[in-house]
Amino acid sequence: MKHAFVGFAWLLVAWGAPACAAEPQSFTANSLAAIQAKYAGQPFILSMWSVNWCGHCITELTMLGKAAKTHKQLPLVLVATDTLEFSAAIQQTQKRLGLARVDSWVFDDDIPERLRHAVDPAWHGELPRTYLYDAKHRREPVMGVLSEQKLQAWLKQHQ
Amino acid sequence: MKKIMRQALCAALLIAPCLVYAQHHEKSKAQAAAQSKPKAVKPAIAVGVASDSRGRLWLARVENQHLLVNYSDDNGAHFSVPVRVTATPEAIAADGENRPKIVLGADGSVMLSWTQALPQNYAGNIRFARSNDGGKSFSEPITLNDDGRITSHRFDALMTDGKGRVTVAWLDARDRDAAKAKGGAYAGISVYTAQSQDNGVHFSANRRLAEHTCECCRVAAVWSDEGPVVFWRNLYGTNSRDFAYAKLDDGIVHRASDDDWQIDACPHHGGDIAADGQGALHLAWFTNGKTRQGLFYKRVAEAKESTPMAFGNAAAQAGHPGIAAAGDRVMLTWREFNGSAYVAYAQRSDDSGATWSPPIQLAEAAGIADYPLPLFRGTRAWVVWNAAVEGLRVLPVEFGSGK
Repeated sequence: MKHAFVGFAWLLVAWGAPACAAEPQSFTANSLAAIQAKYAGQPFILSMWSVNWCGHCITELTMLGKAAKTHKQLPLVLVATDTLEFSAAIQQTQKRLGLARVDSWVFDDDIPERLRHAVDPAWHGELPRTYLYDAKHRREPVMGVLSEQKLQAWLKQHQ
Repeated sequence: MKKIMRQALCAALLIAPCLVYAQHHEKSKAQAAAQSKPKAVKPAIAVGVASDSRGRLWLARVENQHLLVNYSDDNGAHFSVPVRVTATPEAIAADGENRPKIVLGADGSVMLSWTQALPQNYAGNIRFARSNDGGKSFSEPITLNDDGRITSHRFDALMTDGKGRVTVAWLDARDRDAAKAKGGAYAGISVYTAQSQDNGVHFSANRRLAEHTCECCRVAAVWSDEGPVVFWRNLYGTNSRDFAYAKLDDGIVHRASDDDWQIDACPHHGGDIAADGQGALHLAWFTNGKTRQGLFYKRVAEAKESTPMAFGNAAAQAGHPGIAAAGDRVMLTWREFNGSAYVAYAQRSDDSGATWSPPIQLAEAAGIADYPLPLFRGTRAWVVWNAAVEGLRVLPVEFGSGK
């Protein structure tokens, strides 16, 4: 009974219940292709972070949260490199930073290198790491915290 | 009845989905609180290894929130019955950059250090325990950080001269916290040390070795001819995360790498240091700087430093290097990911790091795996590699057979 209750609640969330944070989706080796398909022909921002050990990520997400306030349709995809166990903490942090409604994913593989390889073989796991995609999906990797200046320039160009 | 209830619930859910979300969210909060102290549900993959003067291979590993020690006299084919170091369970950091450390004294002392993860974000304690009966029993673990703060004391490194002097070095956020409490700023955190003259029976008060270090890369350490040497990722200028080393006995901090890795991020990727007993230090590290990208090696002797030598395949995420040395023999180890599996590699030098063998592929791991750990026992070389599927492998590396 309890399962049906929770399951139904999540079904509603998946349908897009307003102002509700969805549980992060499981990010596997095929997920980037799915994300790119969803944003086909559109620019978007892919931001990799960790709720578990990355203080600089919180700096970046705080800035992105502020941007999401002024840009209601901010095309942002957050991928946490933690594990599914941290889903609740991820949701909580995103909600706190005003990022409850953006696309949210969490690494789901015992071997994070497999997923890093799928995203970018040159990425060694340092965080935060952001990819700025243009409409043709040419992407610019940003190592370290994305500066507000860079984000604003990107928004000006692509929004 | 159940059906009616379900229908009623569904109606309520449709009307107020966010109410339900909020309820679930409360549960999530509780879950998050429970999760902030990670439980050892998976076997900890990161182990500590050491060899003693008799060639015995010692192993420290974490299981069900306990630290266990055992040894092998036949190159890892068989191990003794594990002895528990921790009297009570604790959250022992043993994955990624974290692992328990084990060193041996000539008198049969077995000494261990580890980082105890605290429920607060990034917080930890540096713990230490010792055995004076050859590992049959262990002292009650003690906490070495003496500042009384609940903050980041993590990434311990342990070293001994084998004759009673023991040093532990770690990353410590006390100076940052103190600066913040006064409304100031503090770049990075610090390296602190504690030293013992009697195989860890007593430790001196904590001493700061360096300010402004990277926050989350493991510290490496070795006992050299000139005493304890510590190697860590430092902060230079505003945000250059290059490496430094210091001999504790003079306390002078030397810049070890000049890769210009300016990044406000957590690389989570430390280096390693070895001393060859002939006055040279051997360094291995990872960088993604403007000047260099990937894994690098250099030799430091009599203030002369070799040009950094690249190793490993950066396109296969080569990382987390290890280094060991014995006389003229030096061995590098690292891990790559070939697209489907982890692979352990080594490279060896018979001439104190002047020339090197091609990369030697040692083994693959089907599932999760630790970093490969280099180890000399006398002049014979081994790589110890723990993996979830294959278990602990002790792999010989042949030296002296030409390049």
